Amino acid sequence: MIHQPVRLRIMAALMTLGPKEQVDFTHLRDLLAATDGNLGAHLQRLDEAGYIAVEKTFVARKPRTWVKATGLGRDAFAGYLATLKRIVEGSV
Amino acid sequence: MDVSDEEARKSLDLIQEAAQRARQWFAFAGGDIVFILWGVIWVLGYLSSHFLPRVTGWIWLVLVVGGVAASVLLMRRYAAVRSPGGWRISTFWFLLYLYVSLWVWLVLPFLKVKGAEESAAFWRHYGAIAATVPMFAYVVTGLWLENLLVWVGLGVTVLTVLGLIVLQSYFFLWMAATGGGALIGTGLFVRYRWRQPCQTSTG
Repeated sequence: MIHQPVRLRIMAALMTLGPKEQVDFTHLRDLLAATDGNLGAHLQRLDEAGYIAVEKTFVARKPRTWVKATGLGRDAFAGYLATLKRIVEGSV
Repeated sequence: MDVSDEEARKSLDLIQEAAQRARQWFAFAGGDIVFILWGVIWVLGYLSSHFLPRVTGWIWLVLVVGGVAASVLLMRRYAAVRSPGGWRISTFWFLLYLYVSLWVWLVLPFLKVKGAEESAAFWRHYGAIAATVPMFAYVVTGLWLENLLVWVGLGVTVLTVLGLIVLQSYFFLWMAATGGGALIGTGLFVRYRWRQPCQTSTG
């Protein structure tokens, strides 16, 4: 699930924030140089896996979508990162 | 896990790059415009202090009130991150100005300024305090958020003190150029050089 490059970047970006902090969809899209559809599809996969939480709000009557990593997503990312490090260090 | 050593290295590089760019992007999204806005306010305000000393107080008042209101709206519109603790930074700035204003109000009656020369020196120092207080806030905020704020805060503070000591008659012009220029330059740097998307993003 997480190993796919775009999803890996999404999780890496979300992990820079605190557990209660959310990032705006458009900023995440621009940061990852992705299209709306592409990012939306990857977020949906992560959401279905329970790795992220998506919240839709209105700011000045304009819809905004906020994304954050869940505890499950943080654990999964940390586990994947640890595995990658072990592979590089030659212990796997 | 069926991942080769080479693939693992690439994934770790990808994670590191994404995290680095995300930190810079998230920290200053919206902040770049606010930097430029306050740079312009400083340029206009300090130019008014030099060329229009009789009305500069009113000009500063309009600029600062307008700047604070515009900053709040810009951050609400353009900020990348929504944080439950975000109010603490705004509260810190508000309390800092409350404390400084309190002491200025308490100390002012005891300052005996005589003649035009002393009056000019007083306003130069007052202008320097007004410039370095937000810079102190930059330094403190930067310790939590991003080192760039620490360097901008310290840099402008040094330039302010330097101008106060060396360029007395041209202090306000110096502040318009260096202080305002530093804020505008920082905003442009963050906007065009720092806030860069990840290198590649396919799939």
